[in-house]
Amino acid sequence: MALYNFKKIMVVPTAKDFIDITLSKTQRKTPTVIHKHYQIHRIRHFYMRKVKFTQQNYHDRLSQILTDFPKLDDVHPFYADLMNVLYDKDHFKLALGQINIAKNLIDNVAKDYVRLMKYGDSLYRCKQLKRAALGRMCTILKRQKQSLEYLEQVRQHLSRLPTIDPNTRTLLLCGYPNVGKSSFINKVTRADVEVQPYAFTTKSLFVGHMDYKYLRWQVVDTPGILDHPLEERNTIEMQAITALAHLRAAVLYVMDVSEQCGHALSQQLELFNNIRPLFANKPLIVMANKCDVRKISELSEENQACDRLLAHRVDTKMKTKKVHDVLNRLHLAVPTKRDQKERPPFIPEGALLRRKAVEMDAPKRKLERDLEVELGDDYTLNLQKYWDLMNPEEKQDKIPEVWEGHNIADYIDPEIMKRLEDLEREEELREKAGEYDSEEESEDEEMQEIRQLASQIREKRKLKILTSKEKDTQGPRMPRTAKKVERATLEKEMADLGLDMTDKDDSHYALRSRSLVRKRKREVSVPPMSRTRSQSTSRPPRDQSGVRDAKMLKKVKTMMKSSQKEMNRQGKKGESDRHVFDVKPKHLLAGKRKSGSTSRR
Amino acid sequence: MRIEKCYFCSAPVYPGHGMMFVRNDCKVFRFCRSKCHKNFKKKRNPRKTRWTKAFRKSAGKELTLDNSLEFEKRRNIPVKYNRELWSKTMEAMKKVEAIKNKRQARFIMNRLKSGKELEKAAAISEVKKNIHLIRAPHAGQAKQLEDKMVQKLAEDVEMDE
Repeated sequence: MALYNFKKIMVVPTAKDFIDITLSKTQRKTPTVIHKHYQIHRIRHFYMRKVKFTQQNYHDRLSQILTDFPKLDDVHPFYADLMNVLYDKDHFKLALGQINIAKNLIDNVAKDYVRLMKYGDSLYRCKQLKRAALGRMCTILKRQKQSLEYLEQVRQHLSRLPTIDPNTRTLLLCGYPNVGKSSFINKVTRADVEVQPYAFTTKSLFVGHMDYKYLRWQVVDTPGILDHPLEERNTIEMQAITALAHLRAAVLYVMDVSEQCGHALSQQLELFNNIRPLFANKPLIVMANKCDVRKISELSEENQACDRLLAHRVDTKMKTKKVHDVLNRLHLAVPTKRDQKERPPFIPEGALLRRKAVEMDAPKRKLERDLEVELGDDYTLNLQKYWDLMNPEEKQDKIPEVWEGHNIADYIDPEIMKRLEDLEREEELREKAGEYDSEEESEDEEMQEIRQLASQIREKRKLKILTSKEKDTQGPRMPRTAKKVERATLEKEMADLGLDMTDKDDSHYALRSRSLVRKRKREVSVPPMSRTRSQSTSRPPRDQSGVRDAKMLKKVKTMMKSSQKEMNRQGKKGESDRHVFDVKPKHLLAGKRKSGSTSRR
Repeated sequence: MRIEKCYFCSAPVYPGHGMMFVRNDCKVFRFCRSKCHKNFKKKRNPRKTRWTKAFRKSAGKELTLDNSLEFEKRRNIPVKYNRELWSKTMEAMKKVEAIKNKRQARFIMNRLKSGKELEKAAAISEVKKNIHLIRAPHAGQAKQLEDKMVQKLAEDVEMDE
């Protein structure tokens, strides 16, 4: 319905905002990167896209504005008139027309420039074309500034209009200003209209709702009407007139009996007569207000107004043919009597009893809650009392659940005693068969001795393994003869193995061998016995052959040492050792060739 | 209150201990401690994890088929409380437990018996092979030789005479 759309009209941005929004959107949502070395069709496409995008945006938003705003020809004449009164129909239509023209112009601009861009042969030209297109579109919109502002104001005001449904039951209050129309509506409905002593407090229509006879009624409060011809009426009065003219309502013409409003009764009557033509076809009640004595009559008048309106509405409905359709569809079906037997409706006995019990307030059984209240702190929930057991006296037993890590519930079986008997019998049989006799095999002495020897062997092996693990395998591997074997250890070892080592002083290992003799000095040498031996002694040792005297010997020795010095310093094994430990040292080869001599590496 | 069985190691889970895991197919797994829980999460098979009861039973290391084991069985149909039945059951339970323990112990002892034979054989072979580590092969031979020589000499002397 046109009614509720007034709140859902899209916000109309100002011209400047509109342009900003659209242009920034174009910038964000279209690709931005383009180079002049791209293929020309790609460049053209890029810029065409921007132009079309901008045009699309403008088009969409303007179309939405055009569709959102209500068309004066389509809405209820009440609203059309009201809007005319408030916003001037012509101006409204003109503004919307301008927007429409702008939209079409923008479309045309875009079409033209897209066509032109097909012939753009460089990035620069396409870019300029795009610039021109966007610029023109934005200028068009700039010219619509006034229309857009006006439409925004209209929209804001429209959304704040009270939602008056022109088709439901309505009561319309009218009369001079300050007679008490707003007070009345405040009293009758939940509306909160301003009530002040000065005239024209209410400047526009207000709606309140009230309930009567299970129906919702609209009560419309109007600004006061003064008595002058229609052409001279101002906007505010015109609203009231519009309401009167178009709403099918019961009219309550309020009169101020006490003349507090500032107009005599005669004046009020004259006004009444003047606007009488507007009351055609509407139930009319004249309300005499502000007579504090006659409150009851006020109320009664209101009731009468509603009833009258209802009757009026029903009458009009009956007159229309629609009612007949409805009546035709309604039909009360009653089964025809077959015979004289009475067939009353069936009510089950339980339901009847319950109904009687409810009526008689039967005594209830004692609840747990009652028990709880009775016992207070001592109360414990004892559900075991509801159990249904064979022997009721066992109800309060504490039932064991667990024994030594086993669940008793797993053993419960009505036939457990029988099974236990079977098991025990079986066990007896087994025992008799000798299954549980402990076997103690007595081993003979030989076996025991063997076991003992075996354990000794194992021990000895373990010790050997341990000693071998303690050897130093990384160091130089010396032959077994390098280490002197002590006589005592040898004899002890052999004795452990069972050999007799008591009298071994003249055995071969006890004699001192030549290799164990200490080295003697050269000077004190024994002349050799055999011939070969004597030849070797007469030959000078190699480091003395060719040396004349002690002085030369000394020099020779120093020469030897000095030639070895360098080798020793470099950690070489000898003069033939040419091993290089670090062929490419990192500290010399890493890094950039910075300032300094780069002739070496 | 029930004492449940750990799914992994079959140990008793007392109330207030362990963890329970419910799978999407509504199968419930209880664990006695995080060790079992973690192993389960690692998808280990309790039948292959050596320290669990499941392994021991499936590998035949413990008594599996026996009448005394049939007494403790989870029954899904509850029996109404009856003092007499309950007290009798408690007594029966104790007796059954004793018999069960005896039988389980016997089973394990039987299993370990064959080890004794192997032990014997091992000792004999050990001694045969490695006797040289504790006893030299010709340990008492020198003395024997000497004795023999002495004996021979004595015989010679006798003969001469």
